[in-house]
Amino acid sequence: METQSEEQAVTKPEDSGGEGGPPQVAGAEAARPEDRMTLLLRLRAQTKQQLLEYKSMVDAHEKKTPEQIMQEKQIEAKIEELENEVEEAKMAFEMKKLALDRMQLSTALKKHLEKVDIKTSVLVNNMKQILNLNKLIMKSQQETWDLEEKLLDVRKKRLQLKQASERKLSEIQTEKNKQKDDLDSMENSDKIKTIQQKLETEIQITTVIQHVFQNLILGSKVNWAEDPALKETVLQLEKNLTMI
Amino acid sequence: MSVLRPLDKLPGLNTATILLVGTEDAPLQQLADSMLKEDCTAELKVHLARSLPLPCSVNRPRIDLIVFVVNLHSKHSLQSVEESLCHLDAAFFLGKVVFLATGAGRDGHCSIHRNTVVKLAHTYRSPLLFCDLEIEDFRAAMAQRLVRLLQICAGHVPGVSALNLLSLLRGSENPSLEDL
Repeated sequence: METQSEEQAVTKPEDSGGEGGPPQVAGAEAARPEDRMTLLLRLRAQTKQQLLEYKSMVDAHEKKTPEQIMQEKQIEAKIEELENEVEEAKMAFEMKKLALDRMQLSTALKKHLEKVDIKTSVLVNNMKQILNLNKLIMKSQQETWDLEEKLLDVRKKRLQLKQASERKLSEIQTEKNKQKDDLDSMENSDKIKTIQQKLETEIQITTVIQHVFQNLILGSKVNWAEDPALKETVLQLEKNLTMI
Repeated sequence: MSVLRPLDKLPGLNTATILLVGTEDAPLQQLADSMLKEDCTAELKVHLARSLPLPCSVNRPRIDLIVFVVNLHSKHSLQSVEESLCHLDAAFFLGKVVFLATGAGRDGHCSIHRNTVVKLAHTYRSPLLFCDLEIEDFRAAMAQRLVRLLQICAGHVPGVSALNLLSLLRGSENPSLEDL
């Protein structure tokens, strides 16, 4: 098993000395502009974090892990449960940290305000400015709201007017259609037909009479062009009655 | 020492060690060089290996982060990684293991489906990173990311532990897993 895998180690220390192993504080100074205090503080933070990790592992191992053999699905479900627990713990911690920060901030603010002269403090001026701006914002928002209400009312009225005009137009349309229907029905009614027939017969009779008179006058060989009265009569007889 | 345990040795002062495991030497070497070029306040040690278990004869420092490099073009790398995973103690998977899939850029050459590595990472509850190690810019960016991860896993960043980071990284991955 050992021959199967190979291993190579590649290292680069941060100093120019070229050696690994224990930290070279002097060399670190040469390579980076980090003074001893910062380095020590950083190493302290590192060591603290590493200690915390080891401690938490020890605590975790003290708890007994269930040894029973579970199905894969159950294991997955259990893992998800545990992950959710971790998430919830993290969130709770973050919330508590936030609440704590907020409390600290508010006490610091309170103390600062107590110390400082109210009239000239920049902070108080800022707060007053903020309050004024907020009032302005609320007023503008109210105005916007009112204007929007008005707009809405106008639109409603327009809609109502449109609907009314639509109704009127449709009424007109129905009336027109009714008239047309009446007209059509009238034209087709029997009364009209009989009247039309009578008219026709009358026209025919009158035409016949006209022709008779015409022929009478022409047949009598009178010079009708000379006598104005006769001329008028003849011309009148020429009128085609069907065109009336 | 057939099983690698995360916390069985004491950490070196101001030192962080990363182990890159992958079947091909060249990309690992390049990645190691990029990482060493990065700006880091601590001393970086990069170990390379083809597979686990590591030979016990070598005296090595405590390993803080293991990166398994899977080349999406070769099924052999995936197999070798899966075999190596058996030689790790379970405590390692609490944030000290990262899977890195390379070669996703050239889709025509990929013989492993992306979902396979995603499932693998999901089974082991570890973050999965994608990077084309052949392209230098991506490699440099990935090297920077790995250095930051390494710093956190080695405990150099106060207030953030490897497990913390794991749950932070998990948040962005979950939506895609529901499509699987």
